[in-house]
Amino acid sequence: MPKMPPQVVRLVLLTIGIVGSYLIARYFLTPASFNEYGHYRGAALMEIASHPVVFAGKKSCEDCHFDEFERLGRFEHKTLSCEGCHGAGQAHTENPDIRLAILNFSHCARCHEANPSRPSWHKQIDLRDHYAGEACTECHVAHAPSQVPESPEAP
Amino acid sequence: MKRPFTRRSLLGRLAAATACLVVAPAVRAAKAAVKTVLVSTGAPKGYDPTQHKWLMVVDVNRCIGCGLCAEACKLENHVPEGPFYRTWIERYIIKKPEPGSGETHGEVLVDSPAGGMNGFHDVPVPADDILQSFFVPKLCNLCEHSPCVQVCPVGATFDAPDGAVLIDPKYCIGCGFCIQACPYGCRFMNPVTHTAEKCTLCYHRISRGLKPACVEICPTQARIFGDLKNPEPDDPIEAFVRNNKVQVLKPHLGTEPRVLYAGIDREVR
Amino acid sequence: MTNAVTNIVVELMPHFEGYVYPNEATPQPLWSILIVLYPYITGLVAGAFIMASLVRVFRVKALEPVYRLSMLTAFAFLLCAPLPLLFHLGHPERCLEVMMTPHLTSPMAIFGFVYAWYLMAVLLLELWFDYRRDLVAWAEQTSGFKGMLYRLFTVGVTDVSEPALKLDAKIGQFLSVVGIPSAFLLHGYVGFIFGSVKANPWWGNVLMPIIFIMSAMVSGIALCVFNYMVLSWIRRRSIDMKCLDVMGMFLFYALVMDAAIEGLDWIHRVYSAEEGFKIMEYMAKEKLFYTLNLGQALMGTLVPLLLLGSLQIRALRQRAPEWLRRRLYFIGSVLILIGVLAMRWNVVIGGQFFSKSLRGVMSYKMEFAGLEGWFMGGLMLALPFIILTVLIKLFLSEKLPSAGHYEPASLKP
Repeated sequence: MPKMPPQVVRLVLLTIGIVGSYLIARYFLTPASFNEYGHYRGAALMEIASHPVVFAGKKSCEDCHFDEFERLGRFEHKTLSCEGCHGAGQAHTENPDIRLAILNFSHCARCHEANPSRPSWHKQIDLRDHYAGEACTECHVAHAPSQVPESPEAP
Repeated sequence: MKRPFTRRSLLGRLAAATACLVVAPAVRAAKAAVKTVLVSTGAPKGYDPTQHKWLMVVDVNRCIGCGLCAEACKLENHVPEGPFYRTWIERYIIKKPEPGSGETHGEVLVDSPAGGMNGFHDVPVPADDILQSFFVPKLCNLCEHSPCVQVCPVGATFDAPDGAVLIDPKYCIGCGFCIQACPYGCRFMNPVTHTAEKCTLCYHRISRGLKPACVEICPTQARIFGDLKNPEPDDPIEAFVRNNKVQVLKPHLGTEPRVLYAGIDREVR
Repeated sequence: MTNAVTNIVVELMPHFEGYVYPNEATPQPLWSILIVLYPYITGLVAGAFIMASLVRVFRVKALEPVYRLSMLTAFAFLLCAPLPLLFHLGHPERCLEVMMTPHLTSPMAIFGFVYAWYLMAVLLLELWFDYRRDLVAWAEQTSGFKGMLYRLFTVGVTDVSEPALKLDAKIGQFLSVVGIPSAFLLHGYVGFIFGSVKANPWWGNVLMPIIFIMSAMVSGIALCVFNYMVLSWIRRRSIDMKCLDVMGMFLFYALVMDAAIEGLDWIHRVYSAEEGFKIMEYMAKEKLFYTLNLGQALMGTLVPLLLLGSLQIRALRQRAPEWLRRRLYFIGSVLILIGVLAMRWNVVIGGQFFSKSLRGVMSYKMEFAGLEGWFMGGLMLALPFIILTVLIKLFLSEKLPSAGHYEPASLKP
């Protein structure tokens, strides 16, 4: 067998060195859970899943406020989430001393202010015409919106 | 020219490699132990990502543009202030055509002030000039063939087995390629962490059996969230898809989103 | 919080026309000047290497005086090519992940490997085989730090016997042949980083890699012309006019091909007038008017075509005095270098000037300072020239006799 030329020998050694160190580095620098489910860190799934919750969800409201809950369920606002009006409640479920807002319901306009972009099935009122200056709660009960006060002339 | 490579450096490298071989497994075991302790605190128990396949249906006819979803999303996910939204609402106003212009419709105005977070109080066009107007909630489209995942150079963003498209904030290098590749503008560079960020379907909520914050908060059920692998007894999504013609955004791109839209106009992109 | 957000948006609003997705309403583009420079520098590498291959593979004897200079140019720029990419990352310290867990469907991940291959298996090796004989000689003649460097670069191989040199030449030839497709691959892949983005009609285009390769060749050859002329001027040596004429010829024909393909791309875009065409038309007429029409098309393509083309007519070339030809070549190559930079700008920044909703356009204000500012951009562009200066001092020195095959004859003392 002819002797390999020296420059080729050096290059082969060098290549083995570079590829070898790449493979070694790759072995040690690939995170442990990589390729658990696919080409990513499998551990990331549970890391993302373990973020704290801010909105508690309607179900946890029911645990304590079942009477209000039952009443809400009989009227149009049954699809509303409690936290939509009262604010995020996870902190409140963990410590009831942290109170949530009982609103004066300027909040109502957010959904019920007339807007040409809103679908026509949705109840909307013109804030300037409809008892302007008075609080919605003077007449309406948020948890039972269709218990309309005796004001048939209301626009 | 050639990288300096002498016998001494070779020996050095060999020594380093051997040291690595000895030390690394121990380090790795310690790391794994620390990780289990850290992750187990507060993490949802018993969630198996392979047992779910999430999807969302958006019923545009039910959206009233209150903006609660966009606001709740920012709160729930601690999204930084500024032009960064994991979900937002767009308002489309299609004006009547100029009389005699021979066109089917006039100018199309689209806006999303602050992502619709504060609602849409101002109407930029007199009501009489409006041919049609509606709101469209937007979020990650949960593509079956996600272009964003395809281009990530390191595997920091991925399609989770349950269909959520997630970003590993500890692995993202912040190159921004995924943001360029998302056709729907759903991704942004978080200015605090310098990593890409997007809708996770509120992964920390759905893995605990809760609904995503936007779905939870929506007063009109314009967003319907469901699990294809575990449909509820009278699954609302199944009923909805049976009774409505649904479509996806930008279907020509072949991304096959799993966020389905009912009642959208051709102007919606 | 709501107030703060509203304020920010109100502040930003004047920068946008029409509707842009809320996430696109950032004051700075996501990919800025650094990402403009990245394909520019990579293209110069590929072009300069192909220029050198003309000598090695296609045996264009007239170009021998610039062979080594082209190779060193390619090397200096290649060393800098990944830097802008690295600096623009949100987490540069995680960059090794691209090599450790490369996601093979990502053009950017593949670029890492193509780059490593091109640097180590093509350019470094070819340079080493080219220079081995000289290195051994220089290592013996030179002392001190420089001598140590030369000795290091020989990697301990001192065999410069006839058969060993023959083998060097053979391997060098082989590497050069491998190098041409590698150079195409290197820069084609850069084009593919943009061409693969189907979300963006300005980028997502099958012709993009080819356009990038063509413009790379043009800019690389132009850079070699520029470097050769500047080096000769610095060293007060006369320029080999035959060599310059041939370089000018290759530059002209490469530019013709480049212009033809880019023109074809535009014809296709205008003719098919797909979904995003309206907004692209607006961009070409408004947002990119100066850089696209004036920078890229007129000053970067048409004028150089005329300047270099006129010298391709034999009667004109023979009548034109040397000083005029030199000037025309120099102006032509500088214009091309600026034009290709403008082209990279138009691609990278242009692709971020419009919303992916295709309903609005953004405006950005480039800063002077900062990571993505003008200053950093200028620094990035100056760095390869600084490296090249060091390389020339080391490997193209007038003080060291060279036995290289492709001796820059006119640079000899």
